[in-house]
Amino acid sequence: MSDAASERKATKPRPRPAPESKPYWDGARENRLLLQRCNACGQFWFPPSQRCAHCLSTDFAWVETSGRGRIYSFVVFHRVYHPAFENDVPYVVAIVELDEGPRLLTNIVGAKPDDVRCDMRVRVTFEETHGITIPRFMIAA
Amino acid sequence: MIEAYPSLRNRCAIVGAGNSRLGQVPGVSSLDLVIEAIGNALDDAGLKPSDVDGIICRGPDESYSHHQLVGERLGVNARFSTSLDNGGASQILSVMLAVMAIEAKLATTVVCGYGRDAWSRTHRSEEARQSQRTRPESQHAQEFGPEYGYFGAVAAHAFGAQRHMHEFGTTREQFAEIAVACREHALKNPDAQMKKPLTVEEYFKARLIVSPFGLYDCSLRSDGAGAVIVTSAERARDLKAPPVFIRGFGSFNNLTGWFADDNMIRTAAKQSGDTAYRMAGIGPADVSTAQLYDCFTYMMLVQFEDYGFCRKGEGGAFVQSGALRMGGRLPTNTSGGQLSEAHVEGMLQIVEGARQLRHTYPKERQVKNAEIALISGHGGNQVCHSTLILGSTP
Repeated sequence: MSDAASERKATKPRPRPAPESKPYWDGARENRLLLQRCNACGQFWFPPSQRCAHCLSTDFAWVETSGRGRIYSFVVFHRVYHPAFENDVPYVVAIVELDEGPRLLTNIVGAKPDDVRCDMRVRVTFEETHGITIPRFMIAA
Repeated sequence: MIEAYPSLRNRCAIVGAGNSRLGQVPGVSSLDLVIEAIGNALDDAGLKPSDVDGIICRGPDESYSHHQLVGERLGVNARFSTSLDNGGASQILSVMLAVMAIEAKLATTVVCGYGRDAWSRTHRSEEARQSQRTRPESQHAQEFGPEYGYFGAVAAHAFGAQRHMHEFGTTREQFAEIAVACREHALKNPDAQMKKPLTVEEYFKARLIVSPFGLYDCSLRSDGAGAVIVTSAERARDLKAPPVFIRGFGSFNNLTGWFADDNMIRTAAKQSGDTAYRMAGIGPADVSTAQLYDCFTYMMLVQFEDYGFCRKGEGGAFVQSGALRMGGRLPTNTSGGQLSEAHVEGMLQIVEGARQLRHTYPKERQVKNAEIALISGHGGNQVCHSTLILGSTP
């Protein structure tokens, strides 16, 4: 295995936040799921950007969301695309639609892949690994 | 609704079509493959490189100004030339742009081509095989993806398949029928990458990749290229091969994203197709054969719905009726498609559509009485779509 490949094997890819995303990741560190909400039109959007994705206003605030939503769709990774995920397969990657509207790519944790269904209610959970906190979701009771 | 511009109907024609060697072609670059395909298309048309005054291509994703390299190899200074950037939707877009350039009197004879060396480059090194990536680092997501173990086009399309199964009761048995039918078509195509039959049992026994997709839901990693020559319908009459008329085209781009709204189960094929149907002055019932962008089995199924060959949610039943087989209601991907012929990002779909309308195939490969071919392209992170409608007569 080449040096580059063995180096990748050591750790999972860390998010490399764009400048606009910093408050999102700072919020995650405090176990809060923050999204931008437009002060002009009142809507939330994601991914982070400097203007409202609905009306292009620059007047927005970072607001804590409910952390609740539903699974719009999901897939189960059986194949190892990255060596750091070798011990994780099969794992669930989902698109979660928050009650506030935006959809996030995430993992569903704490459930067997076979038990996951579209439209299931989910809630956010935070896990710190290697100095970064990543929002994931669990099936809501 | 946007009205198409019907006066472009049948103004231009494809007068030559060609492909390179397909499948595993080690030691040949994607550029050499596309030149091989262009050479075959020019021979087919009875034209020489010096007859060409337009080149519209798409290179490997990391290339810059790829059309320049193509022109250099052909020894052509072009009046109109560019490279496109809509992923798998680019190849039909190149034909659309060729028609527009010819109509604007910016060119008379345009080469449209695409080639790739996806098989060779993923088998070149251990590192390449591990990553299975053909995209440059600059295009990789930096956040909101890799940290969750989310990689690759298989997963993106599998999301669509999963949602479609949930909403409409679509099954993997229905996906299997698509894979098996495409393989059957490929076995009649001597150029096809896949040479062995595929059964439904083998489909279900194969390893899962990103479920609901298993191995045979996924298109091939191929080396290969295709090319077509476009000229005015008027000029086409003087050429060697029977012209295939460009009857209609359209495109639509769900730039808000594959994850937005219901874009993954109601794709841009709908709006793209409606535009193309209006230009062509036809509807789905008039189509004799479809050559659809089948990067995954599911994408073919959802396009049958979005193009109006059946109702939304009934793609599974349509497929199970045997519709896409030779002799079925709508023989589809009759060369084997990207699932079994070779994955050249939609370019070979154009080549096959044109060939079917010329009626030069042996009986077992020829769609009977083929008059209209509908061809699709899909790409650019799943949101760009293009449609081409060809006719055997004006």
